[in-house]
Amino acid sequence: MKALILDGSREGDSLTPVAVLGMTSALAGRGHSVELVRPRELAIAPCTGCFGCWTRTPGECVIMDDARDVVGSYVGSDLVVFVTPVTFGGYSSQLKKLLDRIILSVLDPRFTVVGGEVHHRLRYRRYPKTVGFGTLPSPDPDAERLFARLVARNGINVHQHSGVEILAGVTDPVSARRSAVRLLDRAGVPA
Amino acid sequence: MNAFLLVGSPKGRKSASYLLGSMLAEGMRKRGAAVSEGMVHEGLRSEDGTARLLDSVDGADLVLFAFPLYIDSLPAPFTRLLELISERRARVAPAGSPRLAVVVQCGFPEAHQCETAVGICRLFADRTCMRWAGALAMGMGGSVGGDPGIMPGGGKNILDAIGMASESLANGGAIPEAATALFAKPLMRRWLYTMIGNLGWRMELRKNKARRPLTYRPYSQE
Repeated sequence: MKALILDGSREGDSLTPVAVLGMTSALAGRGHSVELVRPRELAIAPCTGCFGCWTRTPGECVIMDDARDVVGSYVGSDLVVFVTPVTFGGYSSQLKKLLDRIILSVLDPRFTVVGGEVHHRLRYRRYPKTVGFGTLPSPDPDAERLFARLVARNGINVHQHSGVEILAGVTDPVSARRSAVRLLDRAGVPA
Repeated sequence: MNAFLLVGSPKGRKSASYLLGSMLAEGMRKRGAAVSEGMVHEGLRSEDGTARLLDSVDGADLVLFAFPLYIDSLPAPFTRLLELISERRARVAPAGSPRLAVVVQCGFPEAHQCETAVGICRLFADRTCMRWAGALAMGMGGSVGGDPGIMPGGGKNILDAIGMASESLANGGAIPEAATALFAKPLMRRWLYTMIGNLGWRMELRKNKARRPLTYRPYSQE
């Protein structure tokens, strides 16, 4: 099984790298191959909202930068893990700049109804299972609830249910690994 | 009163977000408020531009966010700006606690799909000592063109909601719940919007002389 970890850590963030270590270890322990992508080390321009990935070069962003390779990795993975500092209940800007570039291009622009709401159709036959692994310096129920809601809503975009786990104030990789294992179990990722 | 409108669409002044935000700003100006504008994507491209955006936020009594929904939240550059504002307000004790109001639109028919983005803005206000002043969220953003007059129904609900919101914000209040509810009303039937949208994507593909079908799978491994 191929897993893709999108590491949304920001400069000076000490908690998210621990979460990445824990998740990498948990996945490797289950025998899965892991690709780690760190958007802050890549050249990724913000999405320009041009819809070129739908109406000029369907399925491919018109901006030629590192995000294009990550779309290929996303499509070829069985599991994608968003690891990020929970930022006002959302993702870090580093993770978000990548997601803004991935998600549109893997969808078909035409509308369909999912769970009573209108969403886009799927472009591919299969999509990776998606889970969110967020970090916070200390427990924050409001931010945690919002983050869980956001990851769940992102899952609906690709017509899936997504799981979430939050690491609040966790600085040791062993505890991070334990939480990662819990998240993978809940998401039904095979051991 | 000194308000600052931050527009978070990459299309800047040509965007639906700018149209809606500037209508709100105009309504406030008519009621005596001074409203300046900043484009998030453009500003963040340089250090000077970023500093100008941050200084303008610092100097405002009311900050207005206007942005399109991107993957259930704010576009990445706007998220970056929230991080920068938060860092600055944590580093330098802010002189005041400005109010924060939000205008957000999404391309899906349902306005409630903007709820997570509004939640993020509300939590941002709470964590940066700003006072939450409410939100206007709408679906069917794809039908908002450059002129509110050509919106379905003449955009009456939108115009009325913005009128109510600008009056209240200019008088130091928050966006009234009635304005939020009016703004969220669908501009047309859901089936009609999705039918027009689906046709629109195909027409755009043809117009662009795209060499691949809409359903092309460039990364397929099957």
